[in-house]
Amino acid sequence: MVEYKFPSKFARTSDRLDAAFSAMADPTRRAILARLALADARVTEIAGDFPVSLNSISKHIKMLERAELVRRTVQGRDHILSLNAEAMADAAEWIEYYRQFWEDRLASLEKFVINQRKSAKKGKPK
Amino acid sequence: MTAVASIPTVTVKRKIPASAQELFDAWLNPTSLAEWMRPCSSGTSRSTVEVDAREGGAFVIVMHVPSGPVRHTGIYQTIDAPRRLVFTWNSPHTGPEETLVTVEFRPDGQATEIVITHERLPETAQKGHTAGWTEILESLAKTINA
Repeated sequence: MVEYKFPSKFARTSDRLDAAFSAMADPTRRAILARLALADARVTEIAGDFPVSLNSISKHIKMLERAELVRRTVQGRDHILSLNAEAMADAAEWIEYYRQFWEDRLASLEKFVINQRKSAKKGKPK
Repeated sequence: MTAVASIPTVTVKRKIPASAQELFDAWLNPTSLAEWMRPCSSGTSRSTVEVDAREGGAFVIVMHVPSGPVRHTGIYQTIDAPRRLVFTWNSPHTGPEETLVTVEFRPDGQATEIVITHERLPETAQKGHTAGWTEILESLAKTINA
């Protein structure tokens, strides 16, 4: 079992996490993130990949930018989108933190019920 | 009960050699809960708990870690003994928004499989399916750590 710590980091990044999780709640936006995870892309390229209007894609991209999951760089007439790995990592860390948290609690619960049975067999008062 | 999953979701499972009833009781009996609902690392004392074990009732679990007490609170949404327990969960690092924990107890011979699903409930989140979500995060985590 690992040493268990309560990182204060989550409280600090909480607003950004909420924005990130809200943004990721939509399948189209997740698909855009998955596409950008492969390589940076122009807005027009992304729009071409999805069977929805440019206007609709544009709104999705804006939400991802607001959540700081995606960054936009303007190069002449091209708007290049890239993934903000740091913001994604914060979200992944939240998941990992709670996975570990509940795994540790369940290990502790198992230890508890087994000890309780041992005590009951020995007739020891609990 | 609602079958619609929110995003994101953490799911953890463990098969424990005990009956569903025994395990279910360990979640709601305050003496039991104080004993096991605490950090596993040695030297940490028993948690301080208050349990109002009814639907709509509140609980408080204060874990005592070296850096100080950490308070967890929530409200029981569903108490369906010995099958299912649903409660909200707030702690210093879940942030201002509610998270929801569902604990399922699935008998498996002499043992019981416990399945914990922990969902973050963003205010503005659309309900959707979790498929694909964790995969993205996992692949990204790998990329970042590589």
